[in-house]
Amino acid sequence: MNAPGVGAARYIGQRVPRKEDPRLLTGRGQFVDDIVLPGMLHVAFARSPIARGKILSIDTAAARALPGVHAIYTNADLAKIKVEMLSFFLTPGNVSITPLADGHVAYVGDPVALVIADDRYIAEDAAALVDIQYAEEDPVVTISDAMTGAPVHADTDSNIAAMMGVEEPDEELEARLQAAHCLVTHKVTHQRISQSPMETRGVIATREGAEELTLYITCQSPHMIARYVSLALGLPDTSIRVIAKDVGGSFGLKNTPWLEEMSVIVAALLFGRPLKWIEDRVENLTSANQAREQEMILRTAFDANGRLVASHGDYSVNNGAYPQGADCNIAVHMFMWAAYKLPEYAFLSRGWYSNTVGMAAYRGPWAMESLIRETTLDIAARRLGIDTIELRRRNLVTLADQPTATTFGIPLEDITPAECLDKLLETLDVAAFRVEQAEARKQGRYLGLGVAAYVEPTGSAGSISVMTGELAQLRIEPTGKVTATMSTHSQGHGTQTTMAQIIAEKLGVAYEDVTVFEGDSSRGGFSPGAAGSRQGVIAGGATIKASELLAEKVKILAGHLFNAPVENITIENGMVHIAGAEEMTRSLRAIAEIAYGEPTRLPPGFEAGLEAQYRYTPPPMTFTSAAHACIVEVDTDTGFVKIKRWISCEDCGTIINPAVVEGQIAGGLAQGIGTVLLEEMSFDARGNPTAVTYKDYLLPAISDIPDFEYLHACTPSQSVGGIRGVGEGGAIIGPPTLVNAIADALAPFGEIGCDLPLTPVKILSLIEGRDLAAVVAPPPPPVVVVEAPAPPPPPPVTQAAAVIDGSWKMVLSTPMGPQEMTGNFVTSGGQLSGELLSPEGSMGFAGTVDGNRLLFDLKVEKPMKITLKYDITIEGDKLTGKVKMGFFGNAKLTGQRI
Amino acid sequence: MKAAPFDYLAPGSIEEACALLAEAGGGASVLAGGQTLMPLLALRMSQPFILVDINNIAALRGVSRIAGGTRIGPATRQCDGLADAVLAEHLPVLVRALSHVGHYQTRNRGTIGGSIALGEPAAEMPATAVALGAVIEITSVRGVRRVEAADFYLGPYMTVLESDELVTGIEYPDWPPGHVILFREVAQRPGDFALVGLVGALVVEGARITRAGLAWFGMGPTPVKMRQAEAAILGQSADALDVNGLAALAIADTAPFDDHHASAEYRRTVGRRMFTRILREALGRQEAA
Repeated sequence: MNAPGVGAARYIGQRVPRKEDPRLLTGRGQFVDDIVLPGMLHVAFARSPIARGKILSIDTAAARALPGVHAIYTNADLAKIKVEMLSFFLTPGNVSITPLADGHVAYVGDPVALVIADDRYIAEDAAALVDIQYAEEDPVVTISDAMTGAPVHADTDSNIAAMMGVEEPDEELEARLQAAHCLVTHKVTHQRISQSPMETRGVIATREGAEELTLYITCQSPHMIARYVSLALGLPDTSIRVIAKDVGGSFGLKNTPWLEEMSVIVAALLFGRPLKWIEDRVENLTSANQAREQEMILRTAFDANGRLVASHGDYSVNNGAYPQGADCNIAVHMFMWAAYKLPEYAFLSRGWYSNTVGMAAYRGPWAMESLIRETTLDIAARRLGIDTIELRRRNLVTLADQPTATTFGIPLEDITPAECLDKLLETLDVAAFRVEQAEARKQGRYLGLGVAAYVEPTGSAGSISVMTGELAQLRIEPTGKVTATMSTHSQGHGTQTTMAQIIAEKLGVAYEDVTVFEGDSSRGGFSPGAAGSRQGVIAGGATIKASELLAEKVKILAGHLFNAPVENITIENGMVHIAGAEEMTRSLRAIAEIAYGEPTRLPPGFEAGLEAQYRYTPPPMTFTSAAHACIVEVDTDTGFVKIKRWISCEDCGTIINPAVVEGQIAGGLAQGIGTVLLEEMSFDARGNPTAVTYKDYLLPAISDIPDFEYLHACTPSQSVGGIRGVGEGGAIIGPPTLVNAIADALAPFGEIGCDLPLTPVKILSLIEGRDLAAVVAPPPPPVVVVEAPAPPPPPPVTQAAAVIDGSWKMVLSTPMGPQEMTGNFVTSGGQLSGELLSPEGSMGFAGTVDGNRLLFDLKVEKPMKITLKYDITIEGDKLTGKVKMGFFGNAKLTGQRI
Repeated sequence: MKAAPFDYLAPGSIEEACALLAEAGGGASVLAGGQTLMPLLALRMSQPFILVDINNIAALRGVSRIAGGTRIGPATRQCDGLADAVLAEHLPVLVRALSHVGHYQTRNRGTIGGSIALGEPAAEMPATAVALGAVIEITSVRGVRRVEAADFYLGPYMTVLESDELVTGIEYPDWPPGHVILFREVAQRPGDFALVGLVGALVVEGARITRAGLAWFGMGPTPVKMRQAEAAILGQSADALDVNGLAALAIADTAPFDDHHASAEYRRTVGRRMFTRILREALGRQEAA
């Protein structure tokens, strides 16, 4: 709905041409490698050829002697400037990370030395001449290696990078699972994925004078990079300018700078000339962080009517050596059953270190929940003899069920997966398909239909410190044209287009007259950029609010100038109208010239100029829902899958531009199709990557992607503007939709399972009823449940009373990374009192003491209402323990006496 | 991904090119369309000291009729081959195979001879040359020699070409008008090297099969001539073939391997099915060339 008094030209909801396209489609985009600075030199890295080992020696003499080589830096050189590698949440890591390898290497491709040369050719020649001697060690490659192998990092006691949930079986839950009418145990093995942005990573770093640093870097938010580099280097962020005009995709990879980018930045500070590093494709496929290597077993119990009874998930994710934030992906569990009526869910979630390149985000990082849940539902439906769609209908949360809350306590007010499914079924004639499928089977053709539904948290702000609101700064220039400086950033998202549409509509100006600037940290205000499907929701709201403020300002000034009541004034197509006095119509330019240049004509107290800004913080979470359907044909001669039809029905609330929304869905679905059928970043037993070019890492090509059909449900959200995020959904719901279709087609042969990718070899093996994979998979590791290192057992009560009173420095491993705090404890007999101090503030508590064991509870409000149950054991000057965080399970606590 | 340093030379004649190759003593690579060589250089998997660019040699380009056959200049671009009227008339299966070589964009630069000389075992052009009984003309300062395509390939990317030799022509014998063409490949994406591929030609005269040229690609270290199946099919009635028996013979000549994309057993299984299906279809429908 338009603000009152703004003209009727509608831009929101229209397929207007994208403002970005003319420059991008004619080769005039500005990417990092397009930038050439005077005096710029080029960087290449000498990298580890082994997955794990000690560095015995580094001899740079031969490389240094090559004409055109300016410098070769190792970690010893870069160490002159202290760098703290931070996670995406800007917290310090659990393990020591240096930009270049510090005495040992932890994965194939680990950067060891950095060469600075006249050009990239010479830099690569020199990198090949850096003589590095290693003492190779046995690597930890897979998740099962990590469970049993020696710790990857010297400063940890196991390979567990992060853990949430409860290790001990919940006996009541186990009893309910075992007693249920139908228990489905479903394992998903998810391969490792390379984000594969079209523009690989790259950076130009240049020191400007003594204090300033300018970075051209391909990223997801220039502001986030400035903040990260500021914190990592201990520089004021006001002295860092980050420019990233155009970015060729990121998909989670470029959230924060990582080893190579930080090495180049530090090298540029040391060397004093601009340095450029552009990652080549082999580097991108081997040394850029990767995603998604996961294993999960979901056990789900159903009653005889197909209603959900209880469920348990055991999840592991390979973090590699240096993840961009050690993580066990708690969101998998938070959203596992969020859209379904499930009484009880428990889980164990672990992230594992390995000698592989580190883990980064990838579009819909928690997508495992939809994949394993939706495939579980289809397996259950086949086993129960209930139609797959009917099974969902019996369990999905509908609008009529809301408001309600998930088992994690996340409020649900307006999710619509059931309604999306209904709308989808208006277009998809399932009964007709089943007839066609039966006929085809008689001819030996195997068709399958897959359906999946999901919800997705989008536009999150306020619960995690880096996930902030968005800032829109608008000006009507003295020319009457509109300039917006946004905190948004596009890696293909089209935010220059969508924000201009909002401004044009809300301000009453022509779309062509709006220019949106973004991509420069010195221009807009802070935002984390494209992460978590957030920009449309949050920046959309900010832009609406700023436009309304600015329109109001124009009307106040016009009212004053023409002695008319504000409510009689409208702005339409750049003209300011006064109701009943058409002769008084003036252009925005005429009004703006007065606003800027004739202060004496302004109303009393009116700030000169026509400028407004608004930083919008939306509700903590805005849910997007969707249901998808896909029809495939499986060639039983070859095991190849042909996608014949794909229908998407999503509810992303108010749509700013349907073409942009559909582009986001299509891109995510293409990645989902690649995940199910083609892509696989694999390693041999020594940790060598085996897909180092696009000949072996198979991305879906245009010929592998069907023409998607789109249906839009459009239930306005509670955020300003009613927008819901849509950036990640396709990548989340695509895989289960396609796996379900393949499983349906192959149902006559048995269950295909979900060991991704579903290659022709795997599919034909099911059809043939024998294993066509020549190399028989190594036997599964012995069924020994490897316990994570448990906190030390409580010492005998007879032990001398521990000294508890005093101050303790403690670190809590949370889903957002380690959190530091100080605990002050005071004991009095069996009573304990004290307070916990953290950057967020302090909280007092009271509890009990039993020998050297402390028990107390804390109630917190953020990010959600939850009771934290502390259980701490003190031994000498050390403290260990765990904190039960409601549904999130246990988090590990360590500490020492201050 | 930047090439190591090399010298670049672009001779204008075959003689000059051969002289340069001889002089280089094994340190040269021949640049034709560059669709394989340039990535190999960029990856530094190939580090020649000298690059001999044959794109200026007009005598290496074009399609011509010769006695009893068709000659293709090795530097003929794949896209030109696809549009060539002589090839369409006389070597229809080669044109069909060409449409599966790489992608539209790579075919604009890639050459027929480049693909044949490279010897990728899963590529279409080498197997087509083997199936059709082509002869490869090889020139060096030492003279000209002619090698049957079936004898040209030694292993993956390994051929009988010596380091001073250049492929200067590919000569395909005529197959009579109306011959039956066979072509099918299974590749994960259009344009990928085949997991399994089959190419061939049959001559059927009075219901009897009188001539057969059949080859696999992606089914061994080289293109694989189906010698046993070819021998067994000759003289058979096209209407009463033991297709399953022939398929077993065809598979018997293969030696596929496991790789990142498929297993040997997958290749054999799909190959057998592909062989039986394509033979039934081709003979059943008598798809005429």
